[in-house]
Amino acid sequence: MSELKTQELTINMGPQHPSTHGVLRIELLTDGEVCMRAIPHIGYLHRCFEKHAENVDYMGVMPFVDRMDYVASMNNDIAYAMAVEKLLGVEVPKRAEFIRVVMAELNRIASHLLAIGTYGLDVGTFTPFMWAFRDREFILDIFEMASGARLLYNYLWIGGVWMDVTPGIEEKIKEFGDYFGPRIDELDTILSYNQIFINRTKNVGIIPLETAINYGLTGPNLRGSGKKWDLRKNEPYSIYPELEFDVPIGTGEMGAVGDCWDRYMVRVREMRESLKLVKQALKQMPAGPFRAKMQRVRPAPGEAYFKTENPRGELGFYIVSDGSIKPYRVKGKSPCFTSISCLDEICQGAMIADVVAIIGSLDIVLGEVDR
Amino acid sequence: MKKYFLDIYRGMRSILKGMILTLIVAFRPKATIQYPFVKRELPTRTRGRLYCNIDDCIGCKLCAVACPVDCIYITANKRGPEEEIPLTSPESGAKQRKFHLPQFDIDFTLCCWCSLCTVVCPTDCLYMTKEYEFSVANQQDLIWQFGEGQKPGPKQKIEPPHLKSVK
Ligand code: SF4
Ligand code: SF4
Ligand code: SF4
Repeated sequence: MSELKTQELTINMGPQHPSTHGVLRIELLTDGEVCMRAIPHIGYLHRCFEKHAENVDYMGVMPFVDRMDYVASMNNDIAYAMAVEKLLGVEVPKRAEFIRVVMAELNRIASHLLAIGTYGLDVGTFTPFMWAFRDREFILDIFEMASGARLLYNYLWIGGVWMDVTPGIEEKIKEFGDYFGPRIDELDTILSYNQIFINRTKNVGIIPLETAINYGLTGPNLRGSGKKWDLRKNEPYSIYPELEFDVPIGTGEMGAVGDCWDRYMVRVREMRESLKLVKQALKQMPAGPFRAKMQRVRPAPGEAYFKTENPRGELGFYIVSDGSIKPYRVKGKSPCFTSISCLDEICQGAMIADVVAIIGSLDIVLGEVDR
Repeated sequence: MKKYFLDIYRGMRSILKGMILTLIVAFRPKATIQYPFVKRELPTRTRGRLYCNIDDCIGCKLCAVACPVDCIYITANKRGPEEEIPLTSPESGAKQRKFHLPQFDIDFTLCCWCSLCTVVCPTDCLYMTKEYEFSVANQQDLIWQFGEGQKPGPKQKIEPPHLKSVK
């Protein structure tokens, strides 16, 4: 008997699919339940960030930068602020650097909590999602005390921070430090080391190290594949060299190196490291001014590129100045954009249900992919 | 075959562990509040709806320039040479108010609550209140007027006089 001919079927996943984490459309070429190709179509959340940035002054770009990766605004701000500072050549006061690092690391925890919680949701468990949001709420309260906003902070300014931290916030952050450690253990019990979750995510969506490097993946996605590469360690900026922390990598404990579980676990372990960083930075925070003395931002003609370690990878800003109060060109290098580029390759041969697990493990934020 | 049963056993154990933990968490204090009935206490720096105390505004338009989305509309007419120049309140520095301000509108449909306008204001007359519940049925009601002689609130429609006479 000749082999049964099956027809390939093209289906659209998204743009309004809850597990695509925003508005992403994936064109799936399926053969039965197996996915042959997965072609991401992006651009549904395009807001012309780069063009906007050419039409407002340097300070006015900050609110738009906030809205790129809207779950890690503080980390975006730090990248943009440091790029402009590099262009200007200003020195940021020590206290401001410490406040920045505390805020950025707290935001990293908040962002990873969101990634972990929604990942649990993607593979079918609801409780960790609620727990993650409960703990994230704590961090958002801290940010609200400092900046007045809960999601889009505009708090880290060029040359320092907007205002000094509110009195009482240090106690609140300390309280969070004590509160959150045991919560990660709980998260481990209910999700990370849950056998059902492990079986669901191990050996799924394996990204070999070579593929990861070829596609230019950064952040937890690259570290999940076993490469110890973290800009905070490898190209240190701000006060990171003075602080002590480890860079967790994927080791293939449960399955192969670079599978979904490894990427997930890197995020969980990074939260512990971030917590360490927050505690250290808070302890060492010096007194002093919180913003450098400066006039209206007007850099001399020139260009600068600065990259930082975002929760999702390497975020860089390339800024060209023509000597006016508005940037001539601002280009954002987004880690999510590179992450999503390898989707097609790792989805080939996976089940349709696994595509959901793979997207979740890449932890993309469409606001940053499309900008 | 052995792996099959081992997986079942491990799965059951994970569920049991998770359930015990959930039970413990269920008896902790609640993290949620019943929102419309109970409201959170907001910190001092909360960014809510903007408010402009027009009696202290000197019409410098710094706020409108700083705004990244250009949603503050100001019309400032210079006072005549004979006119007396009033001062702002002493707390804001008793600055000269050289302009009539017939229009000071803020379009809250565009505003992104970045607070860049409030920090540049030399008299601190533009600030953010703690009010955050201002959804309206009509988009037009989100454009607020703060101009001189106007009641702060949604912009009133001004009926052009010539249309009145036609009616
Ligand atoms: S808060 Fe920002 S967007 Fe809103 S009016 Fe002020 S400067 Fe403009
Ligand atoms: S809700 Fe927030 S992120 Fe969304 S468009 Fe409005 S300001 Fe931007
Ligand atoms: S910056 Fe202040 S004083 Fe100047 S126009 Fe705006 S509200 Fe008035």
